[in-house]
Amino acid sequence: MKCPPFDYHRATSVADAVDALQAAGDEGKILAGGQSLVPVLALRLARPAVLVDVNRIPGLAGLERRDGVLHAGALVRHLALADQRQHPLAAEAARWIGHTAIRSRGTLAGSLAHADPAAELPAVLRACDGAVQVAGPSGTRRLRADELFVGALQSALADTEMITGVELPVPDAWGFAEFARRHGDFAVVSVAAARFGERVRIVVGGVAGVPHLVDAGDLATVDGDVSDDRVTLLAAAAADDVDPASDLHGSAGYRRALTEQMTLRALADLAGHLRPVREPA
Amino acid sequence: MAAADPAMTADHGPASGTPVRRKEDARLLTGRGRFVSDLALPRMRHVAFVRSPVAHGRITGVDTAEALEVEGVSAVFTGEHPAIGPVAMRAQSALPGYVETDQPPLARGKVRFAGEAVAAVVATDRYVAEDGAEAVVVDYEPLPPTVCAWAEPAHPVHDEAPDNLLLSRTFRAGDVDAALADAHVVVDRELTTNRHGGNPVECRAGVARYEAADRKLTFWSGTQVPWIVRTQLAELLDLPEGNIRVIAPDVGGGFGVKAVLYPEDVALCLMAMAMPGTALKWVEDRVEHLLAATHARDHRYVLRAGFAADGELLAVKADVWCNAGAYSVHPWTAGIEPLMAGGLLTGPYKLADYECTVRGVATNTSPSGPYRGVARPSTVFAMEALMDSGARALGMDPIALRRRNLILPADVPYRMPSRLVDDSGAYEACLDRAVATFDLHRWRGEQVRRRRDGGRPLGIGVGIYNELTGLGRAASAGPRMAFRTGHDACTVRINPDGAVTVFSGVTSQGQGLETTMAQVVADALGVDYGDVEVRIGDTDQSLWGFGAFSSRQAVIGGGAAHLAGEHVRGKALALAAALKEAPVEELDLRGGQVYMAGQAKPIISLAEVAKVAYLQSDRLPEGFEPGLEGTKFYDPIRGAFAAGAQIAALEFDPATGEIGILDWVCVEDAGRIVHPVIVDGQIAGSIAQGIGGAMYEHLVYDDAGNLSTGTLLDYLMPTAGEIPELRIGHVSTPAANPTGVRGVGEGGTLAPNAVVAGALADALGVEIDDLPVTPARVWELVHP
Repeated sequence: MKCPPFDYHRATSVADAVDALQAAGDEGKILAGGQSLVPVLALRLARPAVLVDVNRIPGLAGLERRDGVLHAGALVRHLALADQRQHPLAAEAARWIGHTAIRSRGTLAGSLAHADPAAELPAVLRACDGAVQVAGPSGTRRLRADELFVGALQSALADTEMITGVELPVPDAWGFAEFARRHGDFAVVSVAAARFGERVRIVVGGVAGVPHLVDAGDLATVDGDVSDDRVTLLAAAAADDVDPASDLHGSAGYRRALTEQMTLRALADLAGHLRPVREPA
Repeated sequence: MAAADPAMTADHGPASGTPVRRKEDARLLTGRGRFVSDLALPRMRHVAFVRSPVAHGRITGVDTAEALEVEGVSAVFTGEHPAIGPVAMRAQSALPGYVETDQPPLARGKVRFAGEAVAAVVATDRYVAEDGAEAVVVDYEPLPPTVCAWAEPAHPVHDEAPDNLLLSRTFRAGDVDAALADAHVVVDRELTTNRHGGNPVECRAGVARYEAADRKLTFWSGTQVPWIVRTQLAELLDLPEGNIRVIAPDVGGGFGVKAVLYPEDVALCLMAMAMPGTALKWVEDRVEHLLAATHARDHRYVLRAGFAADGELLAVKADVWCNAGAYSVHPWTAGIEPLMAGGLLTGPYKLADYECTVRGVATNTSPSGPYRGVARPSTVFAMEALMDSGARALGMDPIALRRRNLILPADVPYRMPSRLVDDSGAYEACLDRAVATFDLHRWRGEQVRRRRDGGRPLGIGVGIYNELTGLGRAASAGPRMAFRTGHDACTVRINPDGAVTVFSGVTSQGQGLETTMAQVVADALGVDYGDVEVRIGDTDQSLWGFGAFSSRQAVIGGGAAHLAGEHVRGKALALAAALKEAPVEELDLRGGQVYMAGQAKPIISLAEVAKVAYLQSDRLPEGFEPGLEGTKFYDPIRGAFAAGAQIAALEFDPATGEIGILDWVCVEDAGRIVHPVIVDGQIAGSIAQGIGGAMYEHLVYDDAGNLSTGTLLDYLMPTAGEIPELRIGHVSTPAANPTGVRGVGEGGTLAPNAVVAGALADALGVEIDDLPVTPARVWELVHP
């Protein structure tokens, strides 16, 4: 469990990082919080020729809410996300990530780029219909959550691109529920629910290669409060809509049942978690 | 013991029984522990093992050329290397029907489990060693693997055992078939328990250095059993035993996993002998530990029990399969789990008619070895499952049924159907106190309330057990091996300044043995706890100790410490009496001062006596040798059974399978307690490991023999967040040994399987046959 040899480049700016990645061809890898990458290196499951350390790039750790959207820098640590009050869904989800040591190092953009379908923040990005700002050799581009996640541990990012910022629209109401084997584990199933106007978006983590956006049809349109009956129907719709695989921690049937239960909990949560009227400082 | 001595004054009360500051804590709590992993020696090289990716296969070629090209790699060893090739480990037992097999230090000819060491690379650091290990090319011709011990064997793991059966034995008492025929109810259960392992925070580690000029080998090892390792190494390496020094410094947990001599240990020492003067270091990483350190408890039980109408247990008939893994573990053999299972299955219950056939079956999985509780977490689960099924069949209260059958104080010494002799009888006392502490009445009320009002279903689980501790020569641990592990030695030396150094044969992996030995010696000798320093774990310092296993050290090492302390106390008093011309029978030594009966002021200090003994031979009275020390062995001959009972309330969410522990009570009989906080820590830690085994920890192999749970991402160990507040109580029945203690290291692990499974059945009315009890399993049982 020792990393294979690699070169190390400490990037001083986004442009410098992109240059370094480009110079490495498809052999470069960004080192941010390192909470997923370093174990993968130690297990020799990845052997990048160059690690491009982005931790010292200035200006990437900001958090700012503008026009109903939380703009977060790539290097915002989970701990900072958990502590902020401007996007309560993201804060709640971040509290479910690992343990303090992990949360104090792991980054928002790192989690999104790693694209683990059982991780909390990818589910939140998709539930909020958020987007990432990406810098690459040919300039910058914006990728919506639906575009970013391609498959398990696969994103639409090129090897020479890096996420520089994250846009997380703040929902009018929100709920989050997770079932994990132990405190701090990846979810067996998690559900992030976000209401924007009359639409409720429900995203299920842990049941597919990407965070799964539930297609609940007309059920997802609500007028006023989400009634108990509607909650029950939406949870059943979510369970119907997922097609999970079986693994060591549970069968497909069990994950489907958990999807229904976690959706029930997240939607129950949603009723009590309304968007603050005024944007908090 | 000294604690009972009426001459003892309040100023110098006994250290035993009080929570004195631990001797180890200053260094362990400030990060100044000295572990093998910390050891750095001049010209030290680092070793990485090449491990088999296949479960079963012939080795058709090993190419080390490319690895030797890696810059920084100094040597590569394979099983065929002249330094390694002639050596094979053989775990020996005189039990009839035991099939002896070879275990090579590095695989030769074939590999028998995924993770077996095939080659070793020596390099400047561990990174380079792993680069080298990647460059070793091994060709395998796959053979069909056998993973399950109760499935048809695919292909013999060892040619000597074509049916893969390394050992089988039938325990028989009375006439079980006749007793079953007379039974009012007969219950059947088929159970499996989950493979899991010790997983100490510090994995295995060793540094070996050989000096060719004087043929001396030093082996720093995180072992629980340095003297056993020395004896075995002497034989395997063909060195005089006195030329081998084994040092176990601070060790970060053992739990039985480190009570084994491993092929990696032997390979490391053989390689060091092939590279004289170069220290070789190997520190196991977590992936290696999960893959290749010993596993345990992969068992199947097919059970039938008969009960009389009044609940009396009349008969138990059992067939047991224990997955021994690819090799008969050294030195304990493939018999370690099956023989314990058959010997202790009936636990704290009286039974005359018993038949139990146990088997140790070779498979293409990592070898099974000792793990805290050895087999009994499985057998207690099995026995308590029979009790719970019996209670349901009879319509009896499950606790009442247990009471009906417990071995009581009037029954001891009680000869169990396996012929082990139980000296405890404290089961009902433990159960009574556990039930009272738990407040069974209140929890039963809560259970009824929830059933009525629709709350989350709640169940109560019970486990009662006997821990066989401190085994002497008559009931020695291990299946008729070449050695009997009944005794330990201790040397007590009074230094010229009157302070005391103890050279004990015990070893410590974090359980505070330096403290416990110091307490015992301080009281036996009559000095302050603060004046006693304890040296352990070095075969060149202390005379002898078999080490940490079978909850033996407080009993046996403590017994030796007490006897040695008393012996040296006698010597010191004799010298004091001669020096002061006082009658020795009127002298008392306490707090490092010698007192004359009836006098408040001491007549001479121990320091003064010691000064004479070492430095002022001109003052030595006639007939006295210089020096002030003594060595004693202790062997309890039999053992001390330790009783325990655990009872807990758990709730289960039928919709998610979620399991919540609401309350957990444990009462044990540790005999006389030397250090209350250490004892409670042992109990709490072992319950936590038991809960880990019951609910989380599961080493899973796929059909091809690949370990599916190869990292701690998938092999789940409980953290502080998963372990409830434990309420621990005691009944203290002093055992018949010098300090009155009973072993306490393992008992806590024995009940959680039974408690969790029993609570599930009590809450939801579903019997669980296969462990662990996970949320997914609970959900599946509720939604068949």
